[in-house]
Amino acid sequence: MTHSIGDKLSGFKREITQERVNSYASASGDHNPIHLDAAYAATTQFGTRIAHGMLSLALVTEMLAINFPNTWYSGGNLKVRFSAPVISGETVKIYGEITDITKTNVGLIATCSIGCEKPDGTDAVVGQATVPLE
Amino acid sequence: MTYPLISTATVGHEFGPYDVTISSNTAKIYTKAIGGIESPDYGDSQAPLILVAVALTKLIDELGLFSGGLQTIHAGQEVSWIRPVKIGEKIDARGKLAGNSIRGNNRFATVKVSYNDETGTEVGSSSTTIIVSTEHA
Repeated sequence: MTHSIGDKLSGFKREITQERVNSYASASGDHNPIHLDAAYAATTQFGTRIAHGMLSLALVTEMLAINFPNTWYSGGNLKVRFSAPVISGETVKIYGEITDITKTNVGLIATCSIGCEKPDGTDAVVGQATVPLE
Repeated sequence: MTYPLISTATVGHEFGPYDVTISSNTAKIYTKAIGGIESPDYGDSQAPLILVAVALTKLIDELGLFSGGLQTIHAGQEVSWIRPVKIGEKIDARGKLAGNSIRGNNRFATVKVSYNDETGTEVGSSSTTIIVSTEHA
């Protein structure tokens, strides 16, 4: 598969249901009530249950695995910031674009802008990834 | 009043090692949480982010941030991965506090984590930045 600067990565949309959040809590061990307990979450600055930030980031890394199936887990890097919470029940859009391709002594490295966008168009997760190209 | 570890830990403080080995059952639950029709087939390997997430949970617990009603914000995350990890493969995570400072009314802490297999070879690394209100920490 060839890649070029400006290529959009194959992304997707996914609804972050409370069932997903509950499953994520079980898998990660993070049972913070802000993710799970509606009554507790209502008392926080967010006023409602929010998804784990790492759940949103996990979706972004799914996109990287889809687009770079043989290299993302063998030399991939990412750096992101969590800029807004995803509310339980929101549908997020996972997106990315190749912004640079650099020739290095270990081969070609693609730099990608990556993110997880909320329904209102703001980013919940935004950052950059570098991935070796085959 | 008992203050959480994050209030007193200095840069260089070491965490772990934590056993972050992922069982097949945990891998299935993780797939249920994040999976969709577009999801790649990981085969007998696992998405490395679950290792990072499990280590992060243990770190936050050790830092004392699950207690006392503290509201912690996960501000930033870096992940680097060297090779795929198989489901059930024994992996240890070791963390080191790389930053711990107060700006305004918030404490900013950064913890770097190294993930190693049974031979001690690094399979990945991560860096997590969290923010906690200094009202509590």
